[in-house]
Amino acid sequence: MKKWMVLVLLCSIFCLGFSADAFAGDKKLKAGFIYVGPVGDYGWSHAHDLGRQYAEKKFPWLETIFVESVGESDSARIIDRLIQQQKCDVVFTTSFGYMEETIAAGTRYPDKLFMHCSGFKRSANVGTYFGDLYQMYYLNGIMAGALTKTNKIGYVAAFPIPELVRHIDAFALGIKAANPAAKLNVKWIYAWYGPDKAKEAAEALIAEGCDALAFTEDTPAVVEVGQSHSEKGKQIYTFSHYSPMQPYGVDSVVSGQLMNWGGMYAEILESIHNKTWNNKDLWWLAREKAAILGGSETDMINPKFVKALKEAMLDTKDSGKISAYDLVVKRYEQMKQGVDIFDPFTGPISDNKGTLKIKAGEKASKGDLLGIMYYVDNVEGAIPN
Amino acid sequence: MEDIIISTLQRAMVAGTPLLLATTGEVICERSGILNLGVEGVMAMGAVVAFMVTMTTGNPWLGVLAALAAGMMFSIIHAFASVTLQANQVVSGLAMTMLGLGFSGMLGKSYVGKPLSIKMEDWVIPYLSDIPWLGKILFSQGPFFYIAIFLALAAWFFLEKTRLGIQIRSTGENPKATETQGVNVFKLKYLSVITGGGFSALAGAHLSISYSKSWIEGMTAGRGWIAIALTIFALWNPARAIWAAFLFGGIFVVQYLLQPLGISPNFLAMLPYLATLLILLLISLKDPKKLNAPAMLGEPYKRGER
Repeated sequence: MKKWMVLVLLCSIFCLGFSADAFAGDKKLKAGFIYVGPVGDYGWSHAHDLGRQYAEKKFPWLETIFVESVGESDSARIIDRLIQQQKCDVVFTTSFGYMEETIAAGTRYPDKLFMHCSGFKRSANVGTYFGDLYQMYYLNGIMAGALTKTNKIGYVAAFPIPELVRHIDAFALGIKAANPAAKLNVKWIYAWYGPDKAKEAAEALIAEGCDALAFTEDTPAVVEVGQSHSEKGKQIYTFSHYSPMQPYGVDSVVSGQLMNWGGMYAEILESIHNKTWNNKDLWWLAREKAAILGGSETDMINPKFVKALKEAMLDTKDSGKISAYDLVVKRYEQMKQGVDIFDPFTGPISDNKGTLKIKAGEKASKGDLLGIMYYVDNVEGAIPN
Repeated sequence: MEDIIISTLQRAMVAGTPLLLATTGEVICERSGILNLGVEGVMAMGAVVAFMVTMTTGNPWLGVLAALAAGMMFSIIHAFASVTLQANQVVSGLAMTMLGLGFSGMLGKSYVGKPLSIKMEDWVIPYLSDIPWLGKILFSQGPFFYIAIFLALAAWFFLEKTRLGIQIRSTGENPKATETQGVNVFKLKYLSVITGGGFSALAGAHLSISYSKSWIEGMTAGRGWIAIALTIFALWNPARAIWAAFLFGGIFVVQYLLQPLGISPNFLAMLPYLATLLILLLISLKDPKKLNAPAMLGEPYKRGER
C-alpha cells in the first residue's frame, strides 16, 4: 500500500515538472501598471487603463495587472510588490511624481524593465514615454476663436506647470490665428481631480463673459457646465479633454483632444517582446496618432457646429482666405506629417509682457516646450507662482 | 458686474445646498449625543445609489428615495456600534467614512463616464422668479434647494417645538435623566443617527443627479467634513445652519472670482475651518454656555451606570 502511494507521488511530481517545462516555452510577458488616480476618473488614469486593455486584447502573449490610486510616496512599495509577488517583467509608472522611485527601482532590479511616463530621467533599464496634446489644443483654439461672440474665451487649468502652460499657450495661439481680438482668461483649480472646483471655475468664467471654454483637468465638469447653459439658451462652446466627453455635452462640445495610449503601449510592449527595446525617449504627437482631434469616438468635430465653422472665413498668410473648418483640417493634416511641416510654436511669439520669446521663422525646440513657463500675448493675467 | 454678482449668489445657493442637507442631518444626530464622523462616507453612498437607480429607472425621484433608504440602512452600522455596542464613536465614524468612500467606488465602477440624460428641471416659481435679483437667486433653483431649506426649517421646528424633538435634545444632554422620565433613550439615538444618515445621503444624491449629473469616485470631495465643521459653526441649530451653509457655499464659489486679484485659493479653501475655529473661540471666551453643545456628545451611554 505504502509503496503504491510513493509511486503515485513520484509520478505526479514528474508530471508536474514536465508540465512546468511545457508552460515555460510560451511564458507570457507580464506588465504591471501603476496609476496615480482611480481608473474611474474619466481622465488621465482612465485613458492609461484603456491603453492597457487595448494592448492586452491585442497580444495573446501579454498579461497585465494594474494598481490604481497609488500615492507618489507609496510608489516604491507598489513597484516592489509588482516585481516580487506578481513577477512582472516590466512596470509602467504613469505619473511624473514616480520618477525618482522608478529610477531607484531600475537599480534595484537590473534584470527588469521600467517605463516612466512624462519624466526626463532614464537609465539602462528605465525608459520614458509621453504623448502630448498641445497640437490639438492649437486646433481647438482655431475653432474657439472662430466661434466666440464675446471675444472672451476661458480656460480651467489644474496646476501651473509647464505641461499646462504649453497647452494654454497652444490654445491661445490657435485663437490668435483665427481671431486676433479674442483674449484668453485662465482659472487655476489646484486639483487634477476636482469636479466641483472645475464646475465653479467654469461658472465664474461664464459669469465674466466667456462663451468658449477649454480645460486641462481630469473630469467632464466643464463640459457639463457648458451643456447646462447651452440648454437654457446661452450657447457656450466647450472642448473636451483626454476622454470622449461629447456625450456629456451634445449641444456644447465642439471638438476636443483625445489621447490614444493603446497604440503606444502596444508598440512598447511589442518591442520588449521582440527584444528590440531600448531606453530612448518616446514623445508621441499627432504624427504617431497618439494625439487625436475630437470630442467623441466618431466625430472629429460635432456636426452641430460644422456649418458655423465652414461659414467663418479667416485670413491666413500661407493659404489666403479659408474657412475655419478647412484651416483646422489643413493644419491637422500638416501636423500628422510631422512638426517640421507645421508647429504651433513657430515665431514670432511674444509673451504677454511684450518680450519676444521665439524669433520670426524659428521653431521652439522640444526642450523649450518642456520648460515653457510664460503666457503668450493674448492670454490675460500672470502665471501664479 | 450685475451678472457676476447674480451668478455668484446663485451659485452660492447651489454649492450650499448639499452642505445644508448634510449639516441638518448631523445636527439631529449630534443633538442625541452621537458624534457621526461618517457623513462623507454616507454622502458618497447616497450619491452612487441615487445615480445608479436614476440611470436604470430613468426617474430621479426614485433615485432620491433609493439614496435615502441606502443612507439610512448604512447608518445603522454606526448606530449599532455607538449605541448598542457603546464603541468609540470617533473610530466608528471614521470607519464609516472609509467604508462608504471605498464601497461607493466599487459599486459605481461601471457607471463612470456615463452621462445622465434625465435631468431634474429647475423649479421656477411663478411671479416670485420675476423679482429682479432675488428671483434669479432664490426662486429659480433646482428642487434640492427648496427641499434643503424646507427640511432645515422643519428640523428646527421639530427639535425646538415638538415633544419628540425635546426628548432627543435631552437625550444628548442627560440620557440618564431622560430615561428616568420613561423615554427609550436607545430608540431615540437610533432614530437620530438613521435620520441623520438619510440627510447625508440626500446631500450625496444632490451631487450626483442634480449638481454634476454624473458619478465619479470621490465626488463628495470633503463636503462631509465641512458639514461637521458647519454643525459646530451653526451651534447645533438647523435654522442657523441655513445661512451658515450658504455662506460657506459662497466662499467656495467666490474663490475663482477672486483669483485674478491674486488671493490664494488655498487660503479661501481653509476659510470654512478657520471661521469654525474662530466662532468656537469667541463664544467659549465670552460665554461657554452659549456654545450650546450637547453635554453628552460623543459619550457612550451605558444603562444603569453612574
